[in-house]
Amino acid sequence: MKRLLGLSIALVAKRTDLFAAEAGMPQLDPTYWASQAFWLILVFTILYISISKFYLPKIKENLDNRERKIKEDLENASKFKEQSEAKLKEYQVILSNAKKEVAKIHIDSKNDLDKNIQAKKEVIDKEIEKELTKAQKEIIELKKNSISSIQNISENIALNIIEKISGDKLNQSSIKATVEDVSKKNVGKYL
Amino acid sequence: MASNPMQQFTVHKIGPEIKIAGVDLSFTNASLFMIISASIILLFLFLGTRERKIIPDKIQLTAELFYNFVAKMISDTAGSKAKPYFPFIFSLFMFVLFCNMVGMLPYSFTVTSHIIVTLIMALFIFVAVTVIGFIKHGFKYLGIFVPSGVPAVLLPLITLIEIISYLSRPVSLSVRLFANMMAGHTMLKVFGGFVVSLGILGGWLPLSFSVALTGLEILVAFLQAYVFAILTCIYLNDALNLHH
Repeated sequence: MKRLLGLSIALVAKRTDLFAAEAGMPQLDPTYWASQAFWLILVFTILYISISKFYLPKIKENLDNRERKIKEDLENASKFKEQSEAKLKEYQVILSNAKKEVAKIHIDSKNDLDKNIQAKKEVIDKEIEKELTKAQKEIIELKKNSISSIQNISENIALNIIEKISGDKLNQSSIKATVEDVSKKNVGKYL
Repeated sequence: MASNPMQQFTVHKIGPEIKIAGVDLSFTNASLFMIISASIILLFLFLGTRERKIIPDKIQLTAELFYNFVAKMISDTAGSKAKPYFPFIFSLFMFVLFCNMVGMLPYSFTVTSHIIVTLIMALFIFVAVTVIGFIKHGFKYLGIFVPSGVPAVLLPLITLIEIISYLSRPVSLSVRLFANMMAGHTMLKVFGGFVVSLGILGGWLPLSFSVALTGLEILVAFLQAYVFAILTCIYLNDALNLHH
């Protein structure tokens, strides 16, 4: 690169004769050194003061704000995550409790129902038995009653038949005694 | 002559002559471009800090990018003790960078291509760093010239070398920036002259060189501002954290 630079300067110099007109570097001309120094110090001082007093604190504040915000947001996010996890756990506990309760209620009601049915059945059974015995008693009663009325009827029939056949009136008490006798012999067959 | 590649560095007076106590402090094109560069920096920072949003817009983002860039540079090279000097190094970096960049515009003047400008900045840094070193460490600061772990025979020589290198800091710092700027601009001017003198037939090759060099010079403009700032940080680090 340096060789290239030298070559180019030489070429340009040859073509345009410029070094004949003005040789050397303007940088080494001290005419405006004081001026440059003065203006440099002035401008740089102003620049430094306005940057350090005004702009850098602003940028720093904003960067800090952003960092704080991000930190806060992250903290909040993790907090919310914890909260949601806790809630989820709570929910699961509630759910499992509810399930247990449901099972318990299910079993309880089933037992209750069974018991109830059993009790009702027993009551009904008892009632049926009662009714049955009552009915049997009534039947026996009826049978007994029917025997006495059968005796009456057979007495009358016997009295009538005898009257029709012989034309005599037989003693009622003897007929009664005979019918009773016969029926007593045969009543065992129907009772 | 307009095609003199060195003529672009000429300083000339603008407006009336200002003389204070016999010293010529006239407003020149150099002063004008210092003010232009500083104004652009201030305008940029004004726009960058006007709306302080959580989600920045482009210009705010750029301003914050510069802030973080310089902040990282300082904390990487000079540590946390250098924090009070952050505004100075930020201003220095911005000023050198914008002077270099404004100098890249055609028909403009490159403030940093003048040895007097860079030398004043370098001397100020040198004096300030030395003063800070003595304030922080007293006479122990002289220990910077005596590296530890050096054989006793070599110690006088090494110390001499260290002293010379320390004293040559302002020279190397200022000449590096000035020479880079001057060489780049001279080269651009020379190739520009080639384009004109070789005409429409032969001018294409130097033109393409010119384009490539412009890109390179923009890189150099940034790089030299960065180097200037980072060397300041390194010198500051020597003064703040005594390693030797």
